Amino acid sequence: MSDHEEQPANRLREELPDEVPPSPSAPGDPQGARPERNGLTGRQRLLKGLWPPRLTRAQLIVALLLFGLGFGLAVQVASNSDSDSALRGARQEDLVRILDELDDRTQRLEDEKQGLEKQRDELENSSDQAEEARKQTLEKERQLGILAGTVAAQGPGITVTIEDTKGTVEADMLLDAIQELRAAGAEAIQVNGVRVVAGTYLADADNSVSVDGNKINAPYRFQVIGKPQDLEPALNIPGGVVQTLEKEQATVTVERSSKIVVDALRAAERPDYARSSSQ
Amino acid sequence: MIAVLGLVVGVVAGLLVRPEVPAAVEPYLPIAVVAALDAVFGGLRAMLDGIFDDKVFVVSFLSNVVVAALIVFLGDKLGVGAQLSTGVVVVLGIRIFSNAAAIRRHVFRA
Repeated sequence: MSDHEEQPANRLREELPDEVPPSPSAPGDPQGARPERNGLTGRQRLLKGLWPPRLTRAQLIVALLLFGLGFGLAVQVASNSDSDSALRGARQEDLVRILDELDDRTQRLEDEKQGLEKQRDELENSSDQAEEARKQTLEKERQLGILAGTVAAQGPGITVTIEDTKGTVEADMLLDAIQELRAAGAEAIQVNGVRVVAGTYLADADNSVSVDGNKINAPYRFQVIGKPQDLEPALNIPGGVVQTLEKEQATVTVERSSKIVVDALRAAERPDYARSSSQ
Repeated sequence: MIAVLGLVVGVVAGLLVRPEVPAAVEPYLPIAVVAALDAVFGGLRAMLDGIFDDKVFVVSFLSNVVVAALIVFLGDKLGVGAQLSTGVVVVLGIRIFSNAAAIRRHVFRA
């Protein structure tokens, strides 16, 4: 180790090492440093230096230098622990590299964002479409349910009551009445609690009529949903249903109503042979 | 005692004042602080050895700081600033450790 401490800093390698001045005891031999000048040990010297405080030139200068050290230390630590100062001490090439990385990352994230937004739009569209389709299906199901008799219906219409005291009304007369009503635009019909649908049949059964196998007795009461202004004249036309029935000494009353409830239901039946060909 | 007080006052002042470090000095401050720490440990060891001399301490303190900053400056100019400052910190760290070992032998006799 060199001891040229007082020389200026033009010889770097020699300047940095030990600042211990020439000493009889070699730095590499700490044991030899124990019995020293004044016969004091290092610990005693340390305590002596610490207490009592002496205002000497040496102490003042050292204090000044240590003040500088402490100041710099605290400033560096403080600026280093600031949240945004991670980059403050960085070198130019590091900053350029970091900037490049950030650009790349931004680009990647931007791409990812665009992809996700596209996906989101597609999902929104498809869910909108699915919702629309579901609504239409529901609406269609309701309409078809009215036709098939699986749901109850209500609306304006007429009530036709056929009183048959003589027992002369037969199934074909009721069928005529139903045909006439349908031709006039009836949308839902029930007779004495039996829903009349596409597959309904009427047959004579001793002294009464059976509708789809359900025997019904007079008076026959039709509840019909449709436009009353069309339905009533359709029954009352000369030579029509009402006149034919009255010829058989049955009494027919037709009553318009703004609210007819057709609530007789029919189970939805799966056809045995017919299959939809639209799919 | 006054020296220790100086250190404490310096730390407190640095924390309280929180001055903005000039951009030009910024890369050199940490190295300078480490170099000064090395000088302080060396001085402490010299004191325990009974050979402390304030003139030597002042010169070694200042030259340590200046040389460390100079090395880093030169490294920055040469484009190897990061590596050189790492090297300086390693060298100074080794010296601090060896000085600390000597101090430890004096104080704890171990």
